[in-house]
Amino acid sequence: MPKVKSKRVGYNLDMTPMVDVAFLLLTFFMLTTQFRPPEPTPIDLPSSNATVPLPDTDILMVQIGKNDELFLGVDAQPVRERIFKSTIQKQLEESGYPAIEDSLRKFKLSDAFPVTKNNLEKMIIAARFADPKLRPVIKADNNSSYEMVDFVMKTFKRTNMPTFNLITGFEGGSTD
Amino acid sequence: MAAVGSPEPRQPKKGGKKVRRRLGFRLDMTPMVDVAFLLLTFFMLTTTFSKPKTMEINLPAERNDQTQVEVPESNVLTVRIMEGDKAYWNIGFKPPEPIELYESEGDARPTVSKAFRKMLRENRDRIRQEVGEDVMVLVLKLDKKARYQNLVDIIDELNIANPPIKRFSIADFTEADREEITQMLAGGAQPEPQPKETKKEKKKGAKKR
Repeated sequence: MPKVKSKRVGYNLDMTPMVDVAFLLLTFFMLTTQFRPPEPTPIDLPSSNATVPLPDTDILMVQIGKNDELFLGVDAQPVRERIFKSTIQKQLEESGYPAIEDSLRKFKLSDAFPVTKNNLEKMIIAARFADPKLRPVIKADNNSSYEMVDFVMKTFKRTNMPTFNLITGFEGGSTD
Repeated sequence: MAAVGSPEPRQPKKGGKKVRRRLGFRLDMTPMVDVAFLLLTFFMLTTTFSKPKTMEINLPAERNDQTQVEVPESNVLTVRIMEGDKAYWNIGFKPPEPIELYESEGDARPTVSKAFRKMLRENRDRIRQEVGEDVMVLVLKLDKKARYQNLVDIIDELNIANPPIKRFSIADFTEADREEITQMLAGGAQPEPQPKETKKEKKKGAKKR
């Protein structure tokens, strides 16, 4: 019965395969990760059993926060520019705001911007002019009031976009 | 200590040019591997594979009278939702009946109640038996104070019904609706007979999944 275990001094394990796999995985995750743009307001999505994924491009997203704040977002910069020129620029000019170029530049980089109820329709029309392929999408919070959702749906309808999508989270529950 | 062993150097061929090789050259790769694993962990933990899901809604275009479909009133199931998740249902012009929309457990994410599912199924089956066809039309009326979640939950319920209920529409919640419900709550007084017009419903929600 040996009392002392002999220590394996200078023991060498070839770690090359493990490191290979680690780098492979690292590359995979780095290439597949998409960073989400910062959200203008936290939205707690309702869950549903819907399975249609959201398309990546050509989206006109109206976000409704839990206190009925409205945000509009489009993914293409030319569309944003068009929206800016058709609505915000006029307002700024009227109020004599000097740095219109600056605010346009900033506006072009914003993923979603707050809108008022009155502006929404004008902006949607401007966006549709710039890109007729836009798909309207509503992303609303669980606790937002139906009044606001109804308003947005009616706006979509008036601007001749009767088909739209509601973004929901996924619910893994059983179906009965 | 993790050290990456370099592969065994090949034996230099006899008679070839003598290349001076650094035999047994070792580079400590521990820091690089550490960083690699750190990044790997970071990307693994931040990746979300679930893309947001969507449900599609089709509303009829506004200035289009062709979407008006006449539906006999006995085939129309009206579901009204008011503030505080209160739900009422009725067939045709019958007085509304209250129903629990959600299971009463104190859950953060309430599920649609079994009673509501049963009500949907029973009405549908009854109408199918009477008419011989699956012709039930559901009209959804949400009060302004109702929550958005109510809308999504009910549409989802229609989608996962077997087979999915494709004929539903979203209508405005009017003062008449509110009156009908307050009357019913006041003590089951019979609502005054409505004018016998054929109920015209816009067929709104021919939704696809």
